[in-house]
Amino acid sequence: MNFLPMIIVFPLIMAIIMNLLHGKEKAVKYLTFATAIILIALPFIGEYGYYYFSGHGVVDGWISGIAYLYNPAKQAVIITLSLIASLVLITGMGEKLKNNMFVTLSLMGFASISAIVLADDIFNLYVFFEIISIVQAGLVFLSGTEEAYKAGLRYMIIGSVAAALMLLGITFLLASTGTLNISDMKHHLLTDNPMVYGGLLLLIVGLAYGSGLPPFHNIKADLYARSKGFISAMLQTYSKFVLVGLMLIILKLFNGLSYFSSAHAVLIALGVLAMVFGVVMALLQSDYKKLLAYHAISQGGYVATGLALGTPLGIVAGIFHAINHVIYKSALFLGAYIVSCKRGSNLHKLGGLLPLMPYVAFMVLCAKLAISGVPPFNGFQSKWMLAEAAMQVNMPEIAIIMIIVSIGTFVSMMKAFYLIYLKPVDEETLKEYQGKEVPKLAVFSLFVLTALCIIIGLDPSLITNYLWDYAREIGVNYCLK
Amino acid sequence: MDFQMASFITSGLLVVIGLYGVFFVDNVLKKIIALEILGSGVNLALIAIGYNGGTIPIKLPNVPLNVFAKESAYPLTHALVLTNIVIEASMLAVMLGVSIILYKKYKTLKGSVILKED
Repeated sequence: MNFLPMIIVFPLIMAIIMNLLHGKEKAVKYLTFATAIILIALPFIGEYGYYYFSGHGVVDGWISGIAYLYNPAKQAVIITLSLIASLVLITGMGEKLKNNMFVTLSLMGFASISAIVLADDIFNLYVFFEIISIVQAGLVFLSGTEEAYKAGLRYMIIGSVAAALMLLGITFLLASTGTLNISDMKHHLLTDNPMVYGGLLLLIVGLAYGSGLPPFHNIKADLYARSKGFISAMLQTYSKFVLVGLMLIILKLFNGLSYFSSAHAVLIALGVLAMVFGVVMALLQSDYKKLLAYHAISQGGYVATGLALGTPLGIVAGIFHAINHVIYKSALFLGAYIVSCKRGSNLHKLGGLLPLMPYVAFMVLCAKLAISGVPPFNGFQSKWMLAEAAMQVNMPEIAIIMIIVSIGTFVSMMKAFYLIYLKPVDEETLKEYQGKEVPKLAVFSLFVLTALCIIIGLDPSLITNYLWDYAREIGVNYCLK
Repeated sequence: MDFQMASFITSGLLVVIGLYGVFFVDNVLKKIIALEILGSGVNLALIAIGYNGGTIPIKLPNVPLNVFAKESAYPLTHALVLTNIVIEASMLAVMLGVSIILYKKYKTLKGSVILKED
């Protein structure tokens, strides 16, 4: 028996149960711990291949009903997602915000991201795309400040527009092919009528909104910066994997068709713009969480560029960079959370934290080197692969931009490290620091993530072995110029 | 002009009016109403592509299945629209709730005040 839908059904059921346990803090705590353990096991219980809901299957050569498709590449993405989700849930156990709402929303988010990655049905994808935008706004509302409500409302209003346009795109595709199933639709898209073009471009609008590419990068960065540190770790994981899931579906539908070459240019341009805008805005920030938020946008640009190249190497590099990025950026956001427990996140008011928590400083430094692409950490491996993929399609200028953006990342990260850990401070501040505790669960999660950074950096084939088969299936080898 | 063409033109008009309202009207409540108009336009387009001159896609008990399949409109699009209406309603509820919270804080619904980035 195939237990594949449990990846989506189990977190949804747990979310409903958690919602009923309002006010029972102790029960919520134990149940959260149990759920976090089970989440890690979920990606391993499904079998590879198609799963058809309610036993419809293939009727007269057409796939009827909702279908899910599972393969090693999707398994690698969902393993990373469940790891980050369970670490964030464990970190959240020590925090006194409305605990059951946090657990409910993050489990719903886990379910919807897995559904977006697994779905082989484009309307199912749209439904979970809408759920994820409500969940992200809800996670931001949890921090309860006025700026959080503003950022969430702005995100939802723009989100409704983008989602309605994406539904219009799905309508166009349904009208021109007569099916909603992605594997079926692929065979009917060979002609290039204007309706298919329209559908493709409107899907790209949805993609840009869901993953924070320009022109939506500002509201997304605002969203990360306004929530608590460990919630931002969850949020940026969601948007990276929305990017991977939707981009894989666009590539699966259109890659290799003659009229996709112009859309390639649009996608690559979006990725490069996100890289440059993100790092330039990050260099200007004086708030640590905002700086990290803009770096999340910038790294999303790397992922989008790699995937948009559409060659097997580009697709592998893109997914691999997404996985690496969620690991080290979650570590950085957890570091920001630990720091903000001491004294806010304004860079000019911090300083001198190195003697108080040397281990945390060392682990955060590892993550900072990983995001700047320094060997032997995991960021180096995937950035190297991305540059290679850009060279392979005869676009060395993209590789050069990637290196320049990496240097900008390194500079702003080291600036933040100096201002937080090394800058000398007076006696009064030191006394204030000693009065406040470090959250131990967050340090544990930070340790696990940093260890993963080093392990993947030393042996990248741990992840890339999963990805090659699917990348060869949907990638097409060609030269863009 | 046949019925399907008229529906497409109407839905195009609704989408344009909705987009105008979201981006150029400076009142959060009116923005949310414009979002609903935009959503209705998309729903109408979705229903109109399934219309083939047939009857309503509800299978009555005394109609055999093959006759129903021949005579009715395409039922899939209607199912999709029902799902989309539910999603839109939940988005609307959350947005209205948050705008009430922000109204209590600022005593105004101007988008230039309560949606301002700082």
